[in-house]
Amino acid sequence: MNTIQHLSTEAPSVLGGHRLLKSSSCSYFVTTAHGFLLARRMLSGISQPEKYRRILVNSYNRKQSNSSNTTVKTSTKLPSVDHLTPSDAPSVSNAEGREDAASSSQWKERKDDGVDVRAGFSSGKDKKPALLTDSFEYFAFLRRLKRTAEKLLSSFPLAIAELAIIGALCAVGTLIEQGQSREFYLQKYSEDWAFGLFNGEWVLNLCLDHVYTAPYFLGLLALLAASLIACTSSRQIPLVKIARRWRFVNSGASISKLDFHETLPHARLADLAVLLAGDKYQVFMRGPSLYAFKGLAGRFAPIGVHAALLLIMGGATYSAIGGYHGTIMVPQGLNFMVGEAMYPAGFLSQPPDSFDTEVHINKFTIETYPNGEVSQFRTDLSLFNLRGQEVSRKVISVNDPLRYGGFTMYQTDWGISTIQIHVDGEGPFNLVAAPLQTGDNKLFGTFLPIGDNGLAGAKGISMLARDLQSVVIYDSNGAFAGVRRSGSEKPITVDGVTIIIDDIIGSTGLEMKLDPGVPIVYAGFAALMLTTVLSYLCHLQVWALQVDDSLVVGAKSNRNRAEFAEDLGKLLNFVPEIVRDRSMENIAPIISSTNEELSMQGTSAKMDNESSRS
Amino acid sequence: MIYLYVEQIFVYISFLILFLVTLLNLINFFFEIDKINHFSNNGMKFAFLCTTGFLTTRFFQTQHLPLGNLYESLMFLSWGFSFLYLISNVKNKKRLSAPVLATSALLVHAFAVLSLPHKMRESMSLVPALQSQWLMMHVSTTLISYATLLFGSLLAIVLLSIFHGEIKRYCVGNLTNNFEFRHKNYPLISKNFPKQIITESFSYSLFLNSRKCQLIHLLDKWTYQAISLGFSFLTIGIISGAVWANEAWGSYWSWEPKETWALITWLIYAIYLHIRINKKWMGKGSAMAASMGFFLVWICFLGVNLLGVGLHNYGWLI
Repeated sequence: MNTIQHLSTEAPSVLGGHRLLKSSSCSYFVTTAHGFLLARRMLSGISQPEKYRRILVNSYNRKQSNSSNTTVKTSTKLPSVDHLTPSDAPSVSNAEGREDAASSSQWKERKDDGVDVRAGFSSGKDKKPALLTDSFEYFAFLRRLKRTAEKLLSSFPLAIAELAIIGALCAVGTLIEQGQSREFYLQKYSEDWAFGLFNGEWVLNLCLDHVYTAPYFLGLLALLAASLIACTSSRQIPLVKIARRWRFVNSGASISKLDFHETLPHARLADLAVLLAGDKYQVFMRGPSLYAFKGLAGRFAPIGVHAALLLIMGGATYSAIGGYHGTIMVPQGLNFMVGEAMYPAGFLSQPPDSFDTEVHINKFTIETYPNGEVSQFRTDLSLFNLRGQEVSRKVISVNDPLRYGGFTMYQTDWGISTIQIHVDGEGPFNLVAAPLQTGDNKLFGTFLPIGDNGLAGAKGISMLARDLQSVVIYDSNGAFAGVRRSGSEKPITVDGVTIIIDDIIGSTGLEMKLDPGVPIVYAGFAALMLTTVLSYLCHLQVWALQVDDSLVVGAKSNRNRAEFAEDLGKLLNFVPEIVRDRSMENIAPIISSTNEELSMQGTSAKMDNESSRS
Repeated sequence: MIYLYVEQIFVYISFLILFLVTLLNLINFFFEIDKINHFSNNGMKFAFLCTTGFLTTRFFQTQHLPLGNLYESLMFLSWGFSFLYLISNVKNKKRLSAPVLATSALLVHAFAVLSLPHKMRESMSLVPALQSQWLMMHVSTTLISYATLLFGSLLAIVLLSIFHGEIKRYCVGNLTNNFEFRHKNYPLISKNFPKQIITESFSYSLFLNSRKCQLIHLLDKWTYQAISLGFSFLTIGIISGAVWANEAWGSYWSWEPKETWALITWLIYAIYLHIRINKKWMGKGSAMAASMGFFLVWICFLGVNLLGVGLHNYGWLI
């Protein structure tokens, strides 16, 4: 009997009371830090609740007493998540429930005073001395300007329209081939295309040949960036501030205004608190009201998405105006200076010292699969500094570039520079090869003149090569003469001349880039990947109020409302209904569970039943 | 040669089983017979295993993930659809996503097996540009994102086509107890004010429980979940592609047709997610955005390859 009475007076202390804590596995408490702190407080004994009761009583009588300034300050401090300590959210036993009606109005007043930031702001403004009115008005004007700009830019239809138009322009850029010569467009889109409404002239005038660098496209991207900034600062950040500020609700009316609300008759707040804490909510209780939330990251993540997009755009802009790039085709065995091959991309480009290195191509090879297809291109590079010392040596291949001094060298292309032959035992002669076909199927050719007919009527032997392995030889009349592999030392006699193909010397196509914006863009990429995944977390908030015997529960979520309603409904099914046994009304209530039994509720009920029988 | 036979066996068996499963699901959709559920689930599991078998044989044959050409990509996409089928099977038994997913898996599989010329089905060795670790991550995440986005968009198309005129009345936003919004449509309820909480929710539940409303609600919920998952994967896929391009060629974005269309797809699904937040446009507007996304994904996946230009034309139909 004693234990039951102990339970009834102590029961509403948060999360179920001493007995439950000692008997259960305490898993509910350790899931939340707050729960842990409350558990610690509860276990430490009975003296601490007294202290908190005193603080509450003082704050209730705030209007009357002016002496307890410190306690008033702590209780009127704006409650926020990171300042949460056990002293801020004390539990009040039901014995003081009768003070609820009197205190609720005071709580509301306190809430209004504390929460109204704007009022505090304006009162602060009025106190400014007269000297600063001019600059003050200037700042006010700026603030008003900023606010109208924000309101314009963060408008929802504008954002959707921006995204849609950028998408449409991107699509146009894929339909019309980009970056070709003027004649190409005039010829391809001739007058009778689309009934004369659309022709090559239109393409060129509307900058459709370079859509992605056209001024209107870049302007749209800048507008999108401005909209992102405006939306984040004017809509998302205030929402986060409001969401982080937890507020206890003290009237059933405001709870019923929420998206999801229910009334549970004969239920206890503490039971709901336990269930919510078990479902990974952070639970706070003050008096008869409860506030719980979960998934606060879901509020921050959309801001993170916008910030990541801005980072990416900023980094890309920096790359576009502050980088260097260059392409060069170097025959094997020759050198080039890095700085000579690089061209600045924009006005912010600063050449680094490493541009003074000399690059020497030691060897260029093409590896093939057994079936003859190309498997990899490899270039053996040496980098020498101004003093002639070798500072770097690496064999680069297609997915494996060379990084040195801020710039990167990629293997992107290849060609044939010369074909080395012995003619009639003399040589070796280097015949320069010219590209006859470029692109995927390369074809290089060279020409060995025979006889002395001068330039106009030069006749000779043609040699064609598709790769670094073999050469196809044609005679002076264009007839096929034979195929020789380089390095095979097998002579071929064409038109009375004996030729031995020594070697086919390739040239490597290198692309060099210096991109200062890459770290920024990579950071933006990582942030975007992370925040896109995180922003699917729902920020769920639950308010509950104990009104006499029943519990009014309301909830709100910032996305995915319907499923949240279902889940919360299922959770509410677990809240036990307290049935008062009429015959034992004055002695003690008996707790029975509805629907399914939670282990915690089960053990507590069992223990109560056992102790009541004893 | 043994690889070839094993592959063919896997492919044809999975094709047959997918065909049967699709038939069963469509029959089940119209006449609800319980046994069919059981058969179709087991059948799909078997088809999933066969497709996985095909992909693993390709892996052993070529020593790289089977994602090199169009044939393998399509089989991977079909695998993705059957995987989604099995996942949605875990969540709830009675569902609308089953016929949609089974049909998609079958159609993609059929296209790969029946329409591609034999030469394109051979496993080819990778060109130098594809010999990278990034291949696995970029292509696989992008293909999985295509599968989930296509699934979500198909559900949105279903929603639009079935409930063309009525979405606004039963609108998705209506499912919450949003006071003012509801009162615009049902002025008769506005008499009851917040004091009578219980009666209000009771009268509201009359509408909530109507079968049409439930169906709209379910379709919208599944669309949202599928598209949000696909959107995350698409983001990761695009970004990994950009980083790979930077490692291989020095520029993370070169406005290439495939890249650009992936970005356009990303934009349309971003539009979908944003419309879904707006109370005025959600419901019908978001379903329209998601439906458009369906076509954009197909253009991005297949249409760009048919153009024949750019770096991604490894699998164009000649």
